[in-house]
Amino acid sequence: MTKQFKNIFIAAIALVSSVFFFACEETIPIDTGDLAERVVIEGMVTNEQNHYVKLTRTRSFYGKGPADRIQNAVVSVSDDEGNTFQFAHNPDNDPEKTGFYYPVVNFHGKVGTTYSLDVEVDGERYNASEKMLPVTSIDSLVVSIDEDEKADPEDAGSFYEILFYAKEPQDRKDQYLFKFYKNGEILKDSETDIYVTDDVLLGETIDDVETAGFYQLGEVAGVEMYSLTQEAFIFYSDLVNLLNSDGGMFSPPPANPRNNLSNNALGYFQVSAVDRETIVVTEPDGD
Amino acid sequence: MRTLFFTMCAFMIFNISMAQEKFTFNGYVREAGSGEELIGVTVLIRETGGGANTNPYGFYSLTLPKGEYTIEFRYVGFKTKRQKITLDKDISLNIDLEEESIELNEVVVTAEKEDENVTNIQMSKNELNIQQIKKLPALFGEPDIIKTIQMLPGVVSAGEGTSSFFVRGGSADQNLILIDEAPVYDPSHLFGLFSVFNADVIKDSELYKGGIPARFGGRLSSILEVRTKDGNNKELKGKAGIGLLASNLMLEGPIKKDKSSFIVSARRSYIDLFLRLANQKNLVYFYDINAKVNWRANNKNRFFLSVYGGRDDFNFDGNFGFDWGNKTATFRWNHLFNDKLFSNTSLIASNFNYGLGSDDKTDGFQWDSSLAEYSLKQDLNYFINPDLTLDFGYHLTYRNFAPGKITPVEGSIFKEVSLQEEFALDHGIYAGLQHQVSDKLTFQYGARLSIFQNVGKNTVYTYLNQQDNINPIRTGSKEYGSLENIKTYVNLEPRFSARYILNESSSLKASYNRMVQNTHLISAGTVPLPFNTWAPSSTYLKPQIADQFALGYFKNFGNNTYEFSAEAFYKDISNVTDFADNARIFFNEDLATEFRQGSSEAYGLELMFQKKKGDFSGFVSYTLSKVDRTIPGVNQGKSFVANYDRRHNLNVVATYDYNDKWTFGGNFTYGTGRPITLPSGSYEYGDGYYADIITERNGYRLSDFHRVDLSATLTPQKNKGKKFETSWVFSLYNVYSRKNPFSIYTRITQDNDGNIIGDGTQKEARLIYLFPLLPSVTYNIKF
Repeated sequence: MTKQFKNIFIAAIALVSSVFFFACEETIPIDTGDLAERVVIEGMVTNEQNHYVKLTRTRSFYGKGPADRIQNAVVSVSDDEGNTFQFAHNPDNDPEKTGFYYPVVNFHGKVGTTYSLDVEVDGERYNASEKMLPVTSIDSLVVSIDEDEKADPEDAGSFYEILFYAKEPQDRKDQYLFKFYKNGEILKDSETDIYVTDDVLLGETIDDVETAGFYQLGEVAGVEMYSLTQEAFIFYSDLVNLLNSDGGMFSPPPANPRNNLSNNALGYFQVSAVDRETIVVTEPDGD
Repeated sequence: MRTLFFTMCAFMIFNISMAQEKFTFNGYVREAGSGEELIGVTVLIRETGGGANTNPYGFYSLTLPKGEYTIEFRYVGFKTKRQKITLDKDISLNIDLEEESIELNEVVVTAEKEDENVTNIQMSKNELNIQQIKKLPALFGEPDIIKTIQMLPGVVSAGEGTSSFFVRGGSADQNLILIDEAPVYDPSHLFGLFSVFNADVIKDSELYKGGIPARFGGRLSSILEVRTKDGNNKELKGKAGIGLLASNLMLEGPIKKDKSSFIVSARRSYIDLFLRLANQKNLVYFYDINAKVNWRANNKNRFFLSVYGGRDDFNFDGNFGFDWGNKTATFRWNHLFNDKLFSNTSLIASNFNYGLGSDDKTDGFQWDSSLAEYSLKQDLNYFINPDLTLDFGYHLTYRNFAPGKITPVEGSIFKEVSLQEEFALDHGIYAGLQHQVSDKLTFQYGARLSIFQNVGKNTVYTYLNQQDNINPIRTGSKEYGSLENIKTYVNLEPRFSARYILNESSSLKASYNRMVQNTHLISAGTVPLPFNTWAPSSTYLKPQIADQFALGYFKNFGNNTYEFSAEAFYKDISNVTDFADNARIFFNEDLATEFRQGSSEAYGLELMFQKKKGDFSGFVSYTLSKVDRTIPGVNQGKSFVANYDRRHNLNVVATYDYNDKWTFGGNFTYGTGRPITLPSGSYEYGDGYYADIITERNGYRLSDFHRVDLSATLTPQKNKGKKFETSWVFSLYNVYSRKNPFSIYTRITQDNDGNIIGDGTQKEARLIYLFPLLPSVTYNIKF
């Protein structure tokens, strides 16, 4: 969620490498052997109307460019009230959206409803089902100046940070995924960051929490907060561990994230309620 | 097993019934200069050729028929002492042995016959000569016994810069590491760059890899026993050392001459001072303090109190930091009940804890975890006759595991959460008999009965599916009161060793031991971190059990100048503790759902060639071994080689005393690369993530590891006759600057400044290697 607000232990383990003052590294070729191609499913159903299913194929470790998109699949999502929504491949023929499937007739996802995904690729079926859990709402975002960054900014003028406020319900178990945006573009402190947390350690008052990155005056900051099932939280936690693995010296050996998809497919079918907030970065009120 | 006990009893009765008019001859053997008790001194009866060794407290006892005898006391590096005795009554005699030294140098030489390698029944054991270790090249100039242990036959390391070692296919947590009998749960400083053992206070250390005597229990693979010095009881002495990263100071002397003495030693790193000078906000330091006092009330009663404390402290940017450390205390009472019955009573406490915290006002917290252990040990040595010694005793241990508690900083987003504490009681009852059947054949047999109780106060949950670690569902719970029994595990651990002398210079040895481990390290990496916690055997965690068979051939050459040994072993572990793929081992309230226990199988061959005497000494060791694990629920249930499986390991260690001024040391180490899990492909997901696809655990290997280190010790001649003696130790680590692989990770292709190259879709593999050529110098003053 914030710069420090990751799995604390990943941070600690990362620090271990910095302890080895003399540690050096270099790029080396590795022999990765042959891999049987697998289907990767990235499905998203929300309480809004921005559902999609993205289908790609795995590639070799040294593969370049965007993944091979699957365009000939049959995709549908059904809910536990008997409704089935057919998805069609890139109806607008947008070259950027090759491999993306959208509902033919759009629908609003509902909190408490269980959605099931059905994908057929080259005669193979892939299924998943997931319940939509409620999301905690964002109270507010506040612009603040990071004094350390101001003293030595990486980008001139870019030293405003966005603080996040919310009330975490203490009477139910929640899991969250956060996404941060700058002028509509996704923003991460590092390319392997995923801002995901459960509420085991969280108190009710979530105040002054720094979001990723720094902003300049006039930029638009956006925060999205997604509800996750426990299974989705596990998937994202596993993905964080995999993306940040040290090779198994101090951390566990890297392993594929656990997911909710059948038939050995990779990826996840995520069903989330979303809350979002944006703010234009202005000079904070002096105090 | 029952047969073994009957045999044991039969032997005892047989021997006791043979008794005629006999007298006992006993006492302590000490080093003349300092009064330190000497361990393992050979006490030889010239007339019969039989004899004994001094026990870990320097005590010996021989019971012989009435008569006149010439007794020889022999010890490596010391002048042999002959003593004529007329045994017509019980005699108590303390012996002082003088060091055989060349001028001022602490050179270990021996002119006497020394054939322990062949004649001792104990196989699979290595003694570490601390004087030799000090002459060897050391990383940053800090002599470290664990770095030398990593070069012994049968021992494998995970790579350089770590204090973990892996014995005969066992993982790092299967070693029982003892300092003056107190267990040390994490022997590392700076994540393993150094170990907690300060070379200045070590008197003696031994590593048991097999044929483990019945007095030891609790871990599966090895016992590392480190004993500290008692302190000079004749005069005040001291030593100061100034190294590149750490300095140390040691003082020892009599409190009351010949009666009681003390030793105190402290070591502290000063990397933080350099970092401060460099205006760095990240500060790091560690320290160790050892102290010991001992008091000889009389020849029948001796008391010792030994304490150790050490800690590492890391601080980042002044607001985030962590620390960890061990504290141990041992109180010992040696008592002679009578001429034949020696008793050692120990009260031991050990504590390991770590803390991790941030004082940030938004997400500040303090995380604490600790493990405390308290033991009472009653060990008895009964010297029945020169052919028969009985060791027996009872050990009681209480452990309190507090895996984690989080306390938020006022106003932070966190709440106070703590994991359930666990408690355990551990009883060990053992008896072991060393029996010399004939001149050629000696047996050592015994057993240890381990009774382990997981006790309250605790709440044990039942799960719908105990292996469901994604969404664990608790179906019920049971409360247990303080000390109330939750789960008991009873295991009998038979131990057996045999030695058969083939001829004057060679012998065959065989051993079998079963070991049981009831404290489990919660770590899924290769090398444990100080942030790992431990858990007792419990409802969901069964005791780990290892059976090991070993066979060895031992031969000495050139009038015992050269020692050779070849040992083969086979070790089978059941219920070896492992964790599910993707296990969440930190702060998991349903940790029980991550446990996966299975089997481990290891076998190997070890060769050791050693020269202990002369100006030129050292050893060559070679180990061929294989270890794999089969754990249901890990790696899809398929067997995989263990993280520390390294097929070939070759080490050469040598020191050369060139003259009074110069001593040289060197070592070469070679090892097959460590297994590693690498991707077989990748895929795109979400907001620009490129995840690796893993198909096989430990399916690849890092490239081979090899390195040469050199050292030179200069003791200037002008020291001669001076009150102060100074020396310089120069070390070169990794002489040809080999880039030895430490680990491999993957990332999106980046340039040297961390900027992504290309469109951010291509991955690369990065090899981490640690130390290039590193010179260091240490300055020592002795007074």
